[in-house]
Amino acid sequence: MDKKTKQKIAFIIFRTLSLCVVGILVWILGFIIYNGIEVIGWEFLTTAPSEGMTAGGIFPAIVGTLCLVVGSIVIAFPVGIMSGIYISEYAKNGWIVKFIRVMTNNLGSIPSIVFGLFGMALFVNMFGFGDSIIAGSFTLGLLILPLIIRTTEEALKAVPDAYRVGSLALGASKLQTVTRVVLPTAFPNIVTGMILSIGRVSGETAPILFTVAAYFLPKLPSSIFDQVMALPYHLYVIATSGTDIEASRPIAYGTALTLVAIVFLMNLLATTLRHYFGKKVKSH
Amino acid sequence: MLETKNINFYYGNFHALKNISMKMEINTVTAFIGPSGCGKSTFLRLFNRMNDLIDDTHLTGECLIDEQNIYHKSVQVDELRKKVGMVFQKPNPFPKSIFENVAYGLRVNDIRNKSFIAQRVEESLKAAALWDEVKDKLKKSAFELSGGQQQRLCIARALAISPSILLMDEPASALDPISTSKIEELIYSLKKDYTIVIVTHNMQQAARVSDKTGFFMLGELIEFNDTKKMFLNPDKEQTQNYITGRFG
Repeated sequence: MDKKTKQKIAFIIFRTLSLCVVGILVWILGFIIYNGIEVIGWEFLTTAPSEGMTAGGIFPAIVGTLCLVVGSIVIAFPVGIMSGIYISEYAKNGWIVKFIRVMTNNLGSIPSIVFGLFGMALFVNMFGFGDSIIAGSFTLGLLILPLIIRTTEEALKAVPDAYRVGSLALGASKLQTVTRVVLPTAFPNIVTGMILSIGRVSGETAPILFTVAAYFLPKLPSSIFDQVMALPYHLYVIATSGTDIEASRPIAYGTALTLVAIVFLMNLLATTLRHYFGKKVKSH
Repeated sequence: MLETKNINFYYGNFHALKNISMKMEINTVTAFIGPSGCGKSTFLRLFNRMNDLIDDTHLTGECLIDEQNIYHKSVQVDELRKKVGMVFQKPNPFPKSIFENVAYGLRVNDIRNKSFIAQRVEESLKAAALWDEVKDKLKKSAFELSGGQQQRLCIARALAISPSILLMDEPASALDPISTSKIEELIYSLKKDYTIVIVTHNMQQAARVSDKTGFFMLGELIEFNDTKKMFLNPDKEQTQNYITGRFG
């Protein structure tokens, strides 16, 4: 076989495999939409579950998931971004940075159920938050921290050194250089960290299992110390341990579809933001 | 006046500048020439302490501006850099508007008076011979300008904080011939208000713009002389060889 034919065959294999990936995604989405679309409606999205979760909607779970997304981001973002700035801009490339980086990666590879257990021990019991939005948000915040630190670090590294040097040469301090030139330039890429972590937070079940999620709680939270329902846990509950699993099957698919749609919408929002800021920062 | 006394500079163990002593008068243009890696850019960056940013470097000797050693403990580096502006090899405007690029140095130095900033921005752009080209699009991104315009913007940015000395590290080497000649004209016109030190690879450029020229080789200042004399009748044979293109 000559070189050209070999190359052709190789690329056909590569292309087929990458199309397979797309195919799988389309299949999953199609499956969920096909099974879930019929229950989706205004009522489903705006009412609480009823009749042993075989009827009614998922409104409290949607609200709960949104609370957890916002809560964990409020907690993890400042910490993550500041750590990323420290590692990338301030720390000399010595053993401290290496240590922090290794530890961050280790934190990122801890199974999420362990986070759940740790969150229960620390936030629920030791700090006495009880099962609550704040305990769940802290737990999820810890979970996404490594992701945010890493994306911040990468985003800052992508900023050309010429900007830093140019700023310092004008008598700016290091902090001014970071806040006025480096961070604004890196911001669109940092938003990517937000996109990824939103998806992660809305989908995680294990970390909220012992820290916040309620099996059935039709009323909405009134403070951050209340428990909430959350979409992934609700899905788990009605798919495995509801009162009548067969009867609540369509609701399970509807819940899955809602979860996917929320993640999708948030990604869309974040991508739009990123595009908007990117335009402001770059010219072309 | 800029003066160095017995400057030695090391990158780790590498002896990059060897015992350099020289004087540069105010309102003159001094050019440094020499083969790549000869230390001329390193020497230039001593005067606004940009070498401080590089890890594992070491300096001995004195570097004086107006008779004050700028490496003395009492010297604030950011104050020094306000007095000693710098223009880099590749134009490096910030990803901001044209106006904000020039205003940046003022803002980081805590100047908030809007009309003063606007006035300085205009003056600086005029001094950098860019005003007429950009006066109608100050709010546009600096990246919309051509490379030559960007470099003049960077010069305006450096001028805005009213330095007395301007360091230029191969300011035209990334530009086309027309932009290069504009920068050279600009250097000539800036001479009456600023002391300019320029590093260049281009010997014709050194001959055109400078009053004095220093020739560096392997970390040593081989010859420092009036530009005319340097290019017509240098004292050292090495200079002669370099200028006539026998090496480097």
